[in-house]
Amino acid sequence: MSETKVQKFRSRIGRFEAIGIIAALAVMCTVLALASENFASSYNLAVVLRQASFVGIIALGQTLVLLIGGIDLSVGAAAGLSAIIGGMLLVHLGVDPWLVIPLTCLFGFALGTINGVLVAYARLNPFIVTLAAWEMFAGTTLVITGGSPIRPLGTEFQQFGLGTPFGIPVPVLVFAVIALVLAFVLNRTTFGRNIYAIGGNRQAAVLVGIPVKRVEMLVFGLSGSLAALAGILYASRMDSAQPSVGEGWLMPSITAAIIGGVSLRGGQGTVTGTVTGALLMAVLANGIVLLDISSYWQRVIVGAVVLLAILIDLIRRRR
Amino acid sequence: MRSAFEVRDLSKSFGHVHAVRGVSLRVEAGEVVAVIGENGAGKSSLMSVICGRLTPTSGEIRIDGAPVHFASPSDAQCAGIAIAPQEINLAAELTVLENVMLGRQVARRGVIDWRATEAEARRHIAALDPTIDPKARAGAITVAQQQLVQIARATATGARLLIFDEPTAALTERETERLFAFIRRFRQEGGLVLYISHRLDEILALADRITVLRDGRHVGDLDPRTTNKDAMIRAMAGRDVEELNLRAVIPSAATDEVVLEVRGLSRSAEFADVSFDLHRGEILGIGGLIGAGRTETVRCLFGDTSRQAGTVKLFGREVAFAGPADAIAAGLVYLPEERRRDGLFPDLSVAENIVLPSLAKFTSRFGIRWLDAFGAAERYVNSIPVKVHSSHQLISELSGGNQQKCILARWMMSKCRILMLDEPTRGIDVNAKWEIQKLLRQLARDGISVIYISSELHEIIDVCDRVMLMHEGRVRAIVPTEGATQESLLGLAMN
Repeated sequence: MSETKVQKFRSRIGRFEAIGIIAALAVMCTVLALASENFASSYNLAVVLRQASFVGIIALGQTLVLLIGGIDLSVGAAAGLSAIIGGMLLVHLGVDPWLVIPLTCLFGFALGTINGVLVAYARLNPFIVTLAAWEMFAGTTLVITGGSPIRPLGTEFQQFGLGTPFGIPVPVLVFAVIALVLAFVLNRTTFGRNIYAIGGNRQAAVLVGIPVKRVEMLVFGLSGSLAALAGILYASRMDSAQPSVGEGWLMPSITAAIIGGVSLRGGQGTVTGTVTGALLMAVLANGIVLLDISSYWQRVIVGAVVLLAILIDLIRRRR
Repeated sequence: MRSAFEVRDLSKSFGHVHAVRGVSLRVEAGEVVAVIGENGAGKSSLMSVICGRLTPTSGEIRIDGAPVHFASPSDAQCAGIAIAPQEINLAAELTVLENVMLGRQVARRGVIDWRATEAEARRHIAALDPTIDPKARAGAITVAQQQLVQIARATATGARLLIFDEPTAALTERETERLFAFIRRFRQEGGLVLYISHRLDEILALADRITVLRDGRHVGDLDPRTTNKDAMIRAMAGRDVEELNLRAVIPSAATDEVVLEVRGLSRSAEFADVSFDLHRGEILGIGGLIGAGRTETVRCLFGDTSRQAGTVKLFGREVAFAGPADAIAAGLVYLPEERRRDGLFPDLSVAENIVLPSLAKFTSRFGIRWLDAFGAAERYVNSIPVKVHSSHQLISELSGGNQQKCILARWMMSKCRILMLDEPTRGIDVNAKWEIQKLLRQLARDGISVIYISSELHEIIDVCDRVMLMHEGRVRAIVPTEGATQESLLGLAMN
């Protein structure tokens, strides 16, 4: 393997499209570290990372859906409903805590697959399908629980949300592992490349023989299961499966992906980008607290960052 | 001397692609100027600039000696220029008369005077074809009539300069004669006409002057009184007629072995009772007018649509594909006419566009072996050859011809056995077109069978071993191309 070949290889696959946003994150961290001595403390960093993890896991699922040119508005509600189902399995049915996590993910996968079937096979608009699913999932959660949380979930189960093996919070570890797995899937498997192909040109993908519908369905399923995973981890951390789990996760999941350079038109975006986007939003929120800025400003700043990210992307493409 | 209409040193670029390069041409009152050139020579881009759909990159347009600038088609119409475009773009749900008068209804204070509007429309329609019912729904009349309605729409603007872009592509002989009579009348009344056509006979019969474009450049003028078809072809192709006949350059390698046997294939409203054999190593052309059902037929063979009747045998075994994926797995592939829209992944590199359907071959336990995959793609890029800076550049940066070569490389790599190409040379410059056709002849010699759909009968004669002629969804004839002429084939298709 010659040197130039390696360079070419790097230049296309795992191309560092996210370099701008990574630089922005680095600058932000440096500034915060200088401005506030608390920022770089291991405690604070753990807080930031954990905060990034829940939304980050969901944002990775959202990234897959965005890559095929879809959108999943039901992620937050799927997280909530799955957390409730997980809590019921644990508390009411006495299922082993280690089994609850995969079962919940499986349930989330089923929820996502409903969206996937309607989008891929019935060719309904993903925005409308997942909007309806959002309402139905959220409503089902309330019907099941009557609005009250399922708690306590038990100290053994709490380990999934609160444990810190090797000093790293479990959700952060899970987030990292999922990011690595997805990066591999997207860059090094035919399934992953098919996702990019479908998002880039669906009709062409059909005509070159890619099983477009199956891939689309699977992607929505994965988005659902990642939402469920985030939901159940969050419930574990809170020691309570609340109907409100996942509320307010939808927009950050899209925002993280967009800041990270994922295109809403599909076909463009990377795991690195979305992970960085999720981290950047968490650091931003943390910085606002540390610098004693009114937290009301947070959303204004996040919105401005999104616009800035899109403008920078636009300028880069025009060149 | 001041010309009634003049284009000076006009250029139009789309990014790296120079569609029109410094073209000058003029039209005098009472003159029909024919513009000829192969596909991709820049005729359509030039006409789009003249009628205000595109703004020129440089150069100017003058009317009666005064420079004009068109920001939109309506500017051009105000200046007395109207185009009857090749593609049908009628509002299918509106009536013929509404389509003709779209945007120019007779109205008083915004309220349409339907009686006056209708009278006006009837006048323009009757001048072209009195058999068209102005009250019919535009979507319900034949393709030929739709084409005439578009022409009526152009004449209804009261333009002084009329541009006809392939007006006869969908017309029968009778309708063509009516159109010619109309154009001659218009010329007599002092009108200006720019006439684009691939039908060289028509041009010899109609034009006062012939302007030849090649690869975006104005390469010469011909006098219809003294020139002949061979000279026109030579001027358009920049190559000798003998060299263009690839059948002679690379002799047929067709065998007796039938690889694809189609019997009685039907699909309502698209095509009916289509039967033919395709042999190993053969190139079978499918000719006919737009709307003859050619694309629909191969799309159905490809499993993109389902058939309602008939049988298909591939390599001796009866097949029924549930979708394109099945057809591809069986070695049968389709290259769509709309290359950019249906064939390319614009966000992916040249190499990845080529390897995409073959990725499974390069996948191991540790995922895709990209270096092997890209290496294989690069071998095809080099051997065809495809003109690229690097096989890692985006495919959307390439010219149409090179994109088409990449798509061919894609299927060569996937080891397909039968290629079905839909207008494979549309929008491709002369040289690349010849290279692609030569590549197809070579592939056929290597045992691949090819179905070649084209509206250019001369291309079919040059490239294909046999030709199947279709008209209104039915097969009219299947004949060898040896000894055939465009006229003989056209006659077979229409009668």
